[in-house]
Formats: sequence, structure tokens, C-alpha cells
Amino acid sequence: VSKRARKGAGEQTWRGLGVSDGIVIGQVLRLHNGTCQVFRATIKEEDIERETHRLHAAVRLATRQLLAIKARAETELGADHAYIFDAHLLMLEDRKLLEDTEAFIRAERANAEWAVRVVADRFLAVYAEIKDEYLRERGSDIEDVTQRLLMALGGAERQDTSILTENAVIVAENLLPSAVAELDFEHARAIATDAGGWTSHTAIIARSLGIPAVVGVRQLHRRVRTGDLIIVDATRGDVILHPAHDTIEKYKVAAASSMETSSIVTEHDVAKLITLDEREIVLRANIELTAEYEGIKRFGARGIGLYRSEFLLSRHGSIPGEEDQFEAYKRIAELGGEDGATIRLFDLGGEKIGPRLTDHEQNPALGLRAIRFSLKNEDVLRHQIRAILRASAFGRLDIVLPMIMDLDDVRRSRKIIGAESALLESENIATGRVRIGAMIEVPSAVQLARTIAAEVDFFSLGTNDLVQYMLAVDRSNDDVADWFQTLHPSVLQSIYQVLTAANAAGIPSIICGEMAGTPAYAVMLLGLGATELSMTSSSIPRVRQVISGISHRDAHDIAMKCLQCGTAGEVEQIVRDEYLARWPQLFSTKSLPVIRHKT
Amino acid sequence: MVEKIVVVTNRLGLHARAAAQLVSAANRYQSLVRIERLDKSAAADAKSILSVLMLAASRGTELKLTADGTDENEAINALNGLFAEGFGELSP
Repeated sequence: VSKRARKGAGEQTWRGLGVSDGIVIGQVLRLHNGTCQVFRATIKEEDIERETHRLHAAVRLATRQLLAIKARAETELGADHAYIFDAHLLMLEDRKLLEDTEAFIRAERANAEWAVRVVADRFLAVYAEIKDEYLRERGSDIEDVTQRLLMALGGAERQDTSILTENAVIVAENLLPSAVAELDFEHARAIATDAGGWTSHTAIIARSLGIPAVVGVRQLHRRVRTGDLIIVDATRGDVILHPAHDTIEKYKVAAASSMETSSIVTEHDVAKLITLDEREIVLRANIELTAEYEGIKRFGARGIGLYRSEFLLSRHGSIPGEEDQFEAYKRIAELGGEDGATIRLFDLGGEKIGPRLTDHEQNPALGLRAIRFSLKNEDVLRHQIRAILRASAFGRLDIVLPMIMDLDDVRRSRKIIGAESALLESENIATGRVRIGAMIEVPSAVQLARTIAAEVDFFSLGTNDLVQYMLAVDRSNDDVADWFQTLHPSVLQSIYQVLTAANAAGIPSIICGEMAGTPAYAVMLLGLGATELSMTSSSIPRVRQVISGISHRDAHDIAMKCLQCGTAGEVEQIVRDEYLARWPQLFSTKSLPVIRHKT
Repeated sequence: MVEKIVVVTNRLGLHARAAAQLVSAANRYQSLVRIERLDKSAAADAKSILSVLMLAASRGTELKLTADGTDENEAINALNGLFAEGFGELSP
């Protein structure tokens, strides 16, 4: 997907995929990973001992580096991202690797680099034959370790990214997990890689940190040098190397205006957010990774609106014990501050959990997941409840029950929460006052919102799942992507119905999900009656800016018109016409939904 | 020498994290510990993560553990325990 064009002397533009918005003008920091070129050399008989010593020294150096990376990953990305380095360390210590490599050096009188490469390739060849796809992909871990070892042999320290200049732009072929964990998040201003897609590790980390990133920029890495001037425009997916003077000037203006909407908050930003007609709107943060904690303050979130607790699980499904959970929730409670934090109980099932419990479901999205899973595995549920209740002594915590179908689910859960709470009291363990909310994302809960509202303390609307279940469209299936219509009138009517029911019952509701973080959709949600939105914290400045520039009255008028529509295309047409007419300073045709089917 | 037949029960099989646990456990014992696929297609030194990964033991694979040495019983029980609890992927 890359396009290259020359302009003026030396200026080169590439087109890739922008996976984390923003514009940065900076200097390249070129990371060599993935492509250590290795050459064969024949060494003299008497140098063989020296060569094996070099190998052992390189292993020691690489081990020290990995230990440091592991420690860093644990504190900054969370234990679930750090475990992989245990496996990497064991590979470095592996007798088989060392013995085979040493034997190769001796038998072939080969240099250590060549021996490492050949031996690793043998392992990788065996790996490539493995039938199980998941296990086969683990070959990338072997390659990661091999590259680190080759780097160590080259005598070249892995570049110390802690001495980055203020405006460093990381350019790499592909950022391996260990390289991402090594980055200095304070100074890395942008990332551009040759490989990668929307869901790559790089993209996920970049988005959660609010760093602009463009991936899939073919052949970029081999053409840049550290220190080159570069512009990363992730909003358009462009990367410009050696920009000409007038290009820089143009981007300085663009970068400055994008800074206004997506950078560090000023004092003014933390103040109350009100619409032009003085309706107060609260923006909160969705949190998954430890790396995102910093963003809560940085982007001015009013506490945590949704903590996805299942991210505490390691990538392969082991559920942490009560103590580990307690520590994690305590941290969340402290981060939430006076605005508090809402913890969603494990949304487990389908993909995320071990075998016995969810054996080959034909319809995982309709199967044993979320609250159903927890109610069936009561031990898991009880441990989690206890951990949350104990942590609530250290800050305001609320619980939200995922995938509620009706009052049965609510009552069964509340009964267990009540029992654990009484148990803790009898053990003289302190707890705080925890509110219990229902996640509304299943059509039956939309229909029954009025009755559910009577027995919970708040509603949380998960728009991603609501769209999926309301329209019966799998959001991960590309074949039906055309049918996944966020602005479908049935979705808007559902949201309106739920917000109205909550309002009538006198309980608050908060909208979580990607819809809330998209300015054009956020305005629609306001119009339908929402006053609290929760989103990835890096989206907050953008949404804040738009909300402070509109009146609720206008948003309401537009939303009511949309509720009368029969297709998503009709809604999209109204949104485009009305937004552009009323708020030309806030929206451009580019920031509004495209119309799928002309009406 | 002692031996034991085990089955891989965790969903993702002997992937990097499970293999890391297995190798770390085996390293705590003096005994020589080996793992062989019951279908005889591969065998591994339990103290080498690369060799364990090469077993390509996905879920449902049957394996024979053997331990030989002064602490062979402790070693085989420890490893058997890891398989029995699915490498901690099931238990809360």
C-alpha cells in the first residue's frame, strides 16, 4: 500500500496506514531490528577458542539487556506483556542453542555470527513445519532472540533509546515486542514502520500512549538515517523524508493546530466541560494497559469510566489470584481519584479462556461469555468481587456487570456480591460503598431497560457490542463490514430508549465504546441524551473541543430527526448536511461519516 | 528411572509461556528429564526450551515424561502437576 513520489530536491513522500493520529516533525532514530546482515567468515584453527568466548560474552550481554527490558516491561506495560521475556531469557540460556552453535563454530571453523544464524535457521525451519498455527507463530520469538544475540555479537550495543532527542521519530522495519518495551515513551514523538497493521503490537501501544504512528510504509527503513529530518502525518498516513522548507512551514501550521486538539491539557481543560447552552458533560477514560495510566491525567479524564478487567489475564488465559487482583484494583482506585473508577467484571469467554470451560463453541459471541461465564464459574466471580470490594477501601470503585440479559443476571450477581460483602464484614475487612451497574449491550436488555433500571445503580452502554448484537453483524468479519452500521437508526433508537429509561428511574448512564471517542458520533450521543462518555484517553481532547463548541439543543434537534430515519444512509445524510451547516468551524467533510448508500 | 503419561490440556498447547514454566520447573532438579511424544515423532530435553517448543505439542497431545536421577520422583511429580493444572491457565 505504499506510494512514493519525488518532489523538489530530495523530498520523498510515502503513504502508509495511519494507526494513531497526529502530526510530528522530528528527527529519525533508526532502529535496526529484524535485519542483521550476517556474513560467513572462515576462522583460523587457533582462533576457535576466541570465537566461542565471543559467543558466550554476547549471550551474557544479551541476557543483561533482556533482564532490564523485562523489569521495565513489568512496570510500564504490565505483567501480561512481560512474561514473554521469561521465555526469551530461557532461550538464551538454552543448552541446545549454545551447544549446537559452539559445535558449528568448531566443525565449520565459522565465525560466531554465521553459526548463530545457521543454527537459529534450523530451529526456524522445524518451526515453520508445525501444523498448529499458534505454535508456529512462536517462531517470531526465536527470531527476536536471534537478532538480539547477533546485535550483541556485533559489539554494537542495542541503541540506547533513553538518550533520545526531544522530537525523535522511531523508524524500524518492524518493532518486535522487546523493542517496543524498550522505547522511551517520554521522548519518542512518533513511530513509522515498514511492516504492521491496525492491530499490530506497535499500533496498539502507540494508540494507548497517544503517539502518532504510521505502519506499512514499505522500504522506508532502508532509506533513512538517524538524524534525518522527517515528518509523520498519521492523520493522512503520510511520511515525508527530507522535507523541503515550504513543506516544513506548511506542516508546522498543521502540527500546531493538531497540538491544540490532541496534546497535553492546559488548566482550562480540566475545568468543567459544558456545551454552549451550559449542559455539563463528563468525559472519562477507558483503560486496559498499565501504559495507559499516565494518559488519564495527561488528557484530563474525569476518572476511569471503564476498566476492562480481563486485561489482567495473561495473553494465554491464566486468571490472577485474589491478591494480585486486589493490588491491581487498588491502583485503579487510586488512579480514579475523587472521580472514581468503574471496573467491568471479566468479559471472558470464547477466545480468551482455557479449554475445558468453553469447549468449541459454535457461536462464541452468543455463548458462555461475560457475566454468564462468571456465574457458571462462581469461584472466579467470588475472587474478583472480594478483590474489588477490598480495594474499594482505598478509593471510589464501582462494578459494572457485562452482557446483562435481564433481571435474573442482575439479581444472581447482586446476591453473590452481597454475600461476599457480608463475609468481608464478618472478617472485619474494610470496604467502601460500591455501586453496581448493568452493561447494556444485548437487545433484550434494551427492551427491558425500564425494569433493569429499577434494580441497578447505573447503566453503562457498550456501543461496540450493541451494534453487533442489534444488527446481528459480526464486527470482525470483513465480508459483512458493509452491514456494520454504527449510525443505524435501530442502534440510535436503542440508545435513546436506554438513556430515557435511566433518566426516568433517576440513575446515571455512561456510554463506553468507540462511538464515544469519535467527535461526530459523540455529538449524536449528546443529542440522544447522554451526559457521560468514556473513551481511550487520547481521544478526550478532540471530543472535548467539539463538545465545547456546540449547543445541546442543536444536537438534540438533529438526533430527533435521525430517530425518524429508516436506514443508516439517511442518518448519515442528515448528519453531514446538518453538522456542516451548523458547525462549519468544527467539522469538515473529512471528519464526517461517508454515506454508504445514496438515498 | 520413572515415567508418566500426560496430556496437554491447556488450549494453546505448549506455547512459549507454558514451555517457559515447564523448563524452569525441570531446571530445579538434578535428574535428567525427557519428554517424548507418544506418537514417537519427537522427543525433547525438558531443560531446553527450544527443544520443548520443537515438540509442537498442541492441545490434546499425549506425552511421556521420564526422569532419571536422585530426585526423579520429585521432578516427575512437579512436571505432572503443571500438566494437570493446565499451566495455571484454568485455575483462578
